[in-house]
Amino acid sequence: MLEALLRRGSVGVFLAILVGFAVAAPNFLSVGNLANVFSQSAILGVLAFGLTCVIIGGGSNVVAGGLDLSLAANLGLCAAVFSRLNNVGLALWLTVSLTLACGVAVGLVNGLAVVLLRLPPLLATLASMNVLAGLELVLTENTVVSTDSPLLDLLSGGAWLGVPALAWVLLVTAGLLTLLIQHSPYGLRLHAVGEYPQAAEAAGLRNARYVLSSYLLSGLCAAVAALCSAAFFSGSTTGSGDMLLSVVAIAFLGVVFSRRLVASIPGTLFAALLIGFLINGFQLLNVSSFWVNGVQGVLILLVVAASSALSRGGHP
Amino acid sequence: MPALHLQHVHKRFGATLALDGASLKVERGTVHGLVGENGAGKSTLIKILAGIHTADAGQVSIDGQSYDRLSPRQVDALGVQFIHQERLLPASFTVGEALFFGHELRRGPFVDRRRQQREAQRLLADYFDLQFPAGALVSELNSAERQVLQITRALIRQPKILVFDEPSVALVKREVDQLLRIVRRLRDQGLSILYISHYLQEIDSVCDEVTVLRNGRDVAVVEPRHTSSAEIARLMVNREVQEMYPKARVALGEPLLQVKSLSLARRYRHIDLQVRRGEIVGLTGLVGSGAKELIKTLFGIEQADSGSVHLQGRLLRLRSPGQAIAAGIALVPEERRSQGIAPVLSVLENLTLAGLGRFSRWGLLSRATEQVETARLIDELAIKAPGPHAAVSQLSGGNQQKVALGKWLSRRSAVYLLDEPCVGVDVGAKVEIYRLIGRLVQEGAAVLVLSSDLPELLGISDRILVLHRGEIAGEFHAGEADSDQLLACATGAVPAAAVRAREVEHA
Amino acid sequence: MKLRALLPLTLPLVFGVIVVVFAVQAPGFLSAGNLKSLVLNNFVLLAIVSIGMTYAVAAGGIDLSVGTALDFASFSFVVLLNSGHGWAVAAAGALAAALLVGLVNAVLIGGLRISPFLATLGTLFIGTSAQQLLSDGGQPIYIAQGLKLGVAGLTPLLVVLGLALFYGVLLARGRLGRELLAQGTQPLLAYYSGLSVRRIVTVVALATALACGVAGVLLGATVSAYVPLSGNAFLLNAIGAVFIGTTLSRQGRANVFGTLLGVLFINVIANGLLLIGWNFYWQQVATGVLIFGVLTFSFASRRLVELA
Repeated sequence: MLEALLRRGSVGVFLAILVGFAVAAPNFLSVGNLANVFSQSAILGVLAFGLTCVIIGGGSNVVAGGLDLSLAANLGLCAAVFSRLNNVGLALWLTVSLTLACGVAVGLVNGLAVVLLRLPPLLATLASMNVLAGLELVLTENTVVSTDSPLLDLLSGGAWLGVPALAWVLLVTAGLLTLLIQHSPYGLRLHAVGEYPQAAEAAGLRNARYVLSSYLLSGLCAAVAALCSAAFFSGSTTGSGDMLLSVVAIAFLGVVFSRRLVASIPGTLFAALLIGFLINGFQLLNVSSFWVNGVQGVLILLVVAASSALSRGGHP
Repeated sequence: MPALHLQHVHKRFGATLALDGASLKVERGTVHGLVGENGAGKSTLIKILAGIHTADAGQVSIDGQSYDRLSPRQVDALGVQFIHQERLLPASFTVGEALFFGHELRRGPFVDRRRQQREAQRLLADYFDLQFPAGALVSELNSAERQVLQITRALIRQPKILVFDEPSVALVKREVDQLLRIVRRLRDQGLSILYISHYLQEIDSVCDEVTVLRNGRDVAVVEPRHTSSAEIARLMVNREVQEMYPKARVALGEPLLQVKSLSLARRYRHIDLQVRRGEIVGLTGLVGSGAKELIKTLFGIEQADSGSVHLQGRLLRLRSPGQAIAAGIALVPEERRSQGIAPVLSVLENLTLAGLGRFSRWGLLSRATEQVETARLIDELAIKAPGPHAAVSQLSGGNQQKVALGKWLSRRSAVYLLDEPCVGVDVGAKVEIYRLIGRLVQEGAAVLVLSSDLPELLGISDRILVLHRGEIAGEFHAGEADSDQLLACATGAVPAAAVRAREVEHA
Repeated sequence: MKLRALLPLTLPLVFGVIVVVFAVQAPGFLSAGNLKSLVLNNFVLLAIVSIGMTYAVAAGGIDLSVGTALDFASFSFVVLLNSGHGWAVAAAGALAAALLVGLVNAVLIGGLRISPFLATLGTLFIGTSAQQLLSDGGQPIYIAQGLKLGVAGLTPLLVVLGLALFYGVLLARGRLGRELLAQGTQPLLAYYSGLSVRRIVTVVALATALACGVAGVLLGATVSAYVPLSGNAFLLNAIGAVFIGTTLSRQGRANVFGTLLGVLFINVIANGLLLIGWNFYWQQVATGVLIFGVLTFSFASRRLVELA
């Protein structure tokens, strides 16, 4: 009963919230506003996708399972890298490639620390987060590094079919990752490795490779999100570390939007949009945005308490 | 040419000789049973076949071709599939995904879920006449259904040889019958099957030939058609009684532990038993007999659905181990490493853990008191350790078990529940532990020992209760029974109806 | 066997080397003024929070809401002072506020069986929201002019030492410490030995929160204000310090003394690099790399010793 409520209820709650805001706030359902929400959710959303990949591949037991705390710091670093390189005058394709490479390189370091050195993911990514935050400061000297680029202009101002570019980035990333994680053989195996490592090994899979690849994916997501962030803020920004907890919240909240109550890309997308709509709705209703954190916290606790009650009660 | 032929396989793990020249031959198109007690070498032999271990000596031939070293991937490619005891299917997967992960059905670069689902339905219907609702998740299936999935998953790989490892554990009778029907049909379709099981009834029912393993060696290959289960049981346990079972004459007192009509759905039914002061009652049964769950209930780890437990006449509420301990019950669990001791903590820290109140004042532990008590216990139990502060992980299995037992001694518990007290313990330490158990009852406690080592039970118990599929199938007085009888009773070779009359306990 | 005995010496050795390097390279490093400033300004608050975090880690979990407890305490302290109560009452109120945070965690972890990571994450979020709302978006609340408290010279250090002594002794020699240890290393065994998981979890959550409350009072008194969300800055370094401190224990256990050394380690590196004249930002990198290094060494070497 609780299970059905949780699974079907969540989408219902989501819709109820939308309806609530639509009724209470005049412009909520306007195309412009909706598009706004999507594009504002892009940064957090893409980051959360990366975290989702790591959680899927590492198991959702928080202390020992897959976790990447360095995502936000990685974003900050990549944004700084992009801004600096762009300001130096490198060709756009080179700048973008190096930025992406930076993100993936960080993912590689994290992945190797977890797989080779056998550091618990919590500690490994915590430590690398520290290093990355420092490197970012070195590059930015604790200021905003502004930069200008046709790419950034396109991302921040462009639109196609009436949908803003950042919203496209969010949706396209979600789409590609969904295809990879939820619909490809690689994705199915990644799920097996994270959920039941012994079963995956018995099936002949090499667990280490899949876990490593999940960190590479999260690094890539951080780099993509960094480009979005650079577009949003016209350069690098100093507050990227604050995003971390929201990203974690979104990834864990996303569990409740999947039929099987596991972390998933579409679920994370819903959760990111949910948070985005909450923030937006609060803005339109002139409710202080300071309520958002609290609501996120309560939501996480509700979801986790409900899922853990479920998992304890339901063993055939 | 036999489908599978392992010849004179030797395997040693450190000081333990697991296999001492064991051979196994499975003819094509037959169901070949493999039986043996715990520690006889069955699982090591299977792991060598699966490529998980490599034999020190001996030959492994599959389909006539012999191999020196095998890897799991090779074994898979050679057409050998294993149905393990653990289901090894991720709970959140759908039936289709569980069947095909690792060898997915594709459409282009993507997993073709729809085709997988269709194929799954088809295979399940064809092989097993079964249907699961579309989109069913593994977590929604019970153990027998998951096993069917496991078997189907193996069959998809078109194996020539199927190995079933203790497949009927966690299945009820109806499901076991279905499993046996499946095995017979697979054999009729030309597969060669190796069937490992403790349940001699099943062996008798489905196997064409049986290999009996004992002490790392095959001692007999018989045909169930011509050999009774009782005879097979005798071949399994027949061993020289080398161990001494020190037994002192202890006067029995009043009943300390009384269990009345205790039941837990799918585990055990209407269990009546009692243990008197000074008495050692042995308990035995195969996996799935309910014996383990009974012990857990008596310690408050699981709760029974109905029935009652009394200690010294008092009705007990056993909702948690804490309550059981407070009432005077102690447990030495089977899983020593995770439940009986804390391997990373020291001997002292382990020995004092169940009675910290005795060693602390104003919230602080008194080192002196702890050390005195620890020294006393180390001495009394003859625990061989580098020192009281050595990590328990450094001790041998026998000494670890003494620590697991020792932590209860300061509490003077009334009832001791011992679950497989000597598993993984060397012979010398075993005798010491038996002596300790004897001392416990001499000092007025009651002991309930769960063990699958039948000679051991016969050696140390006053009475033995045998459970079979959730019910007490037999009660024996130690001096009047032997291992074959116990095993026959535990495996159901002797039908429950023909069980010896149970003596009613009188005060 | 011998190798294992040497492992706990790693941290002090590395620390010693670093101190020597800094003393040589940076003239002012060992001066009384520098050391005093290092200890009193940087060390104290992080040390107290880390002491609290030590308990959370020793019990097998983690506490992400340490900053929240600290901030709640600081807030209550300032508000109570400003409304005319004496400093003793204000301090008591502050500690109570911190304990409230701990109680919420205890209910979530012990009662609802939520994992410590997610439970304290939730508390952190809710606490952040509460603070933002109460402080109108991050506006500090200043202690009124006439009510300002000075924090006398060595007082903060004495507080740290006192707290370290109390928490340390309780963890190392107390009954609670032993129960905590069992729960953190072998929870099933602890359960089977009759220990009450709920009670242990509750005490840990309260103890951690209490320490953070003390830090909050100190912070408020020192800066004469409540600065919202300032507690979060301590979180990551506290976790790092605790895990660095585990290298000091032969069995790799979280311990108060090791944690203090870990805090010192982090502070000394930052201070030393500053004095040498390193770019402030490279200091962060260096600190992060060193923490990474120590952790890697600790985990990898322990694994090697186990395998040997």
